[in-house]
Amino acid sequence: MEGTTPMPNESSTNQARTLIPLDYVASKMKIVSITDETVDTKTFRLEFCDPQQGEQFEFHAGQFGLYSVFGAGEATFCIASSPTEKGYIECSVKRTGKVTNELHQCNEGDIIGFRGPYGNWFPIEQMQGKNLLFIAGGIGLAPLNSLIRNCLDLREKFEDISILYGARSVADLVYKERLENWEQMNDVQTLYTVDPGGETPEWKGEVGFVPTVLEKMKPKSENTIVVLCGPPIMIKFAMLSLLELGFSPESAYTTLENRMKCGVGKCGRCNVGNQYVCKDGPVFRCSDLKVLPEEF
Amino acid sequence: MRSTKVDEQTLYQATAGWLKSAVDILKGAGVEVIAPVETDPGVVELAAINSSEEIVLGYANVRLPLKRLFFPITEVLLEFENQPDGDIQMESEPLASPKSEVVVLGARPCGVAALEALDKVFHWDYDDVRYSARREQTTLISFACTKPDPQCFCTSVGGSPHGTEQSDVLVYLADDGQALMQVCSDKGARFIEQLKDVVKPAPAGTKSPAPPEVKAKFDPEKIKTWLDENFENDFWTDVSLKCLGCGACSYLCPTCHCFDIVDEANWQSGQRRRNWDCCSHPMFTKHASGHNPRPDQASRCRQRIMHKFKYFPERFEQIACVGCGRCVRACCVGQNLVSILTDIETKANGGNNSDAE
Repeated sequence: MEGTTPMPNESSTNQARTLIPLDYVASKMKIVSITDETVDTKTFRLEFCDPQQGEQFEFHAGQFGLYSVFGAGEATFCIASSPTEKGYIECSVKRTGKVTNELHQCNEGDIIGFRGPYGNWFPIEQMQGKNLLFIAGGIGLAPLNSLIRNCLDLREKFEDISILYGARSVADLVYKERLENWEQMNDVQTLYTVDPGGETPEWKGEVGFVPTVLEKMKPKSENTIVVLCGPPIMIKFAMLSLLELGFSPESAYTTLENRMKCGVGKCGRCNVGNQYVCKDGPVFRCSDLKVLPEEF
Repeated sequence: MRSTKVDEQTLYQATAGWLKSAVDILKGAGVEVIAPVETDPGVVELAAINSSEEIVLGYANVRLPLKRLFFPITEVLLEFENQPDGDIQMESEPLASPKSEVVVLGARPCGVAALEALDKVFHWDYDDVRYSARREQTTLISFACTKPDPQCFCTSVGGSPHGTEQSDVLVYLADDGQALMQVCSDKGARFIEQLKDVVKPAPAGTKSPAPPEVKAKFDPEKIKTWLDENFENDFWTDVSLKCLGCGACSYLCPTCHCFDIVDEANWQSGQRRRNWDCCSHPMFTKHASGHNPRPDQASRCRQRIMHKFKYFPERFEQIACVGCGRCVRACCVGQNLVSILTDIETKANGGNNSDAE
């Protein structure tokens, strides 16, 4: 993906860069497996129908694609698998609208469309040598999953790694198997929580909203980079808690989830101020968000 | 897309009847000719013509903007069909008109100037190949405005009734059917060369006519300084109260470029299409979750003005408005972009006409 914005907010209208031709035609991908994550969320593992395309495909953690069910249309999701895993990509989809409903009707072996990867990515180079704190809410674990798996594959390049993940209820936690794996790792600190009332008698994790649990967790802010992903309301309050804990907005990254149609800065839909979430994002440094109008 | 080699000072002249000869020559060479025709009483649109008799002149502007020739109202991106073995057959649509060359005879300078904004959008980082292919195959012959109407305000946003931006040739039509022509690009020079039997260099010293007066109504720099400071302002609510959110202003705007991509299909086969879209519509930004970053008409009206006069200039170094006046003419509730902008300018100047309310 040469030519795409490598870092948040560095893109420009610089015409000197090589233009990438775009005809909006999707590549065909085959659904090779489907995992039920929750009652309304499924993870699809996809392989390119054209093996050559599969071999050439590269992406970075944080990038997204436009997935399409032919006849229903396109929808935007992040790539949830790690760039270090070759030969396939995964996406986790919550059933909420027309395309996601159709995707949930799909079976293994069905063919769907994919365009991408688009957008910028998490600054994994700049995260090296630092402590990492991942904060995710609900399906927001999907883009972080890509990054966490990427970081764990390069474990020795980072200092402490902590994961705080919350969902509405125990039934709403995604990637349950992976959550257990992370919990068992000696060099990863995990804290899982569900909203009050969402717990079961067997639940051994925390009970409480993510920002509250974060304050109890008291992560250290020195030499730490935070990456947050989740519903806007969680990001807002988690960010306030982080500031209380001494974190700076410069050391925090998040992703915006504006609606998109083209994915490449043309259709105008994801426009926030003079930024295009699809091109300048979806990964933003929290300090850079402060200068944008609150339209995300 | 313009050449700098072309001598823009040289004028050419054509005698009465040149238009008929031009159409005949172009049609004879297999070129698709698009020109203003009257589609309904009083309504002039750009359309493919067979003979010069269809062309109408003397109109202020065509109703639908020129952009639709390059960025159509609706277009098929790909066709797909389910195969019995579960595979899906996909076919992408041909990129542009089957004729290899297209000449637009009689675009207005503002509509052509608007393509500069669209070129920037469709040609940064990713090159929209459909747009570029159509742009590449089309020669734009603008007819200078002689009778701008009261809604025109091109001079307020840096344009002119005789503007040459993005035009290949600018034609000054005289009432008697004669014309002076100014070549603005290599494509334009080729057009003149094709018409060499009817178009000759004008005698030395020939001057192009003075443009008709279009009074400047506001200063976009002042508008921007106010917009920079007033994302939150009750003015946006005042502006929005009248707005029905119908989107006519955006659909008719020569620089608006928002689009939607949708599938239209039955159980067996279908098409993926790109359609014009509009930021005034409530669903435009609404997430599947129900969250809407621009939840009310005030925020949507603000977006439209902010985008044209603040965000777009910050991003692409030009205003996304050419002053064609279509939005003013078309608004069914009489919303007037010019009066909104003059109100903003009054505020920027420290006036308090509606702040005091």
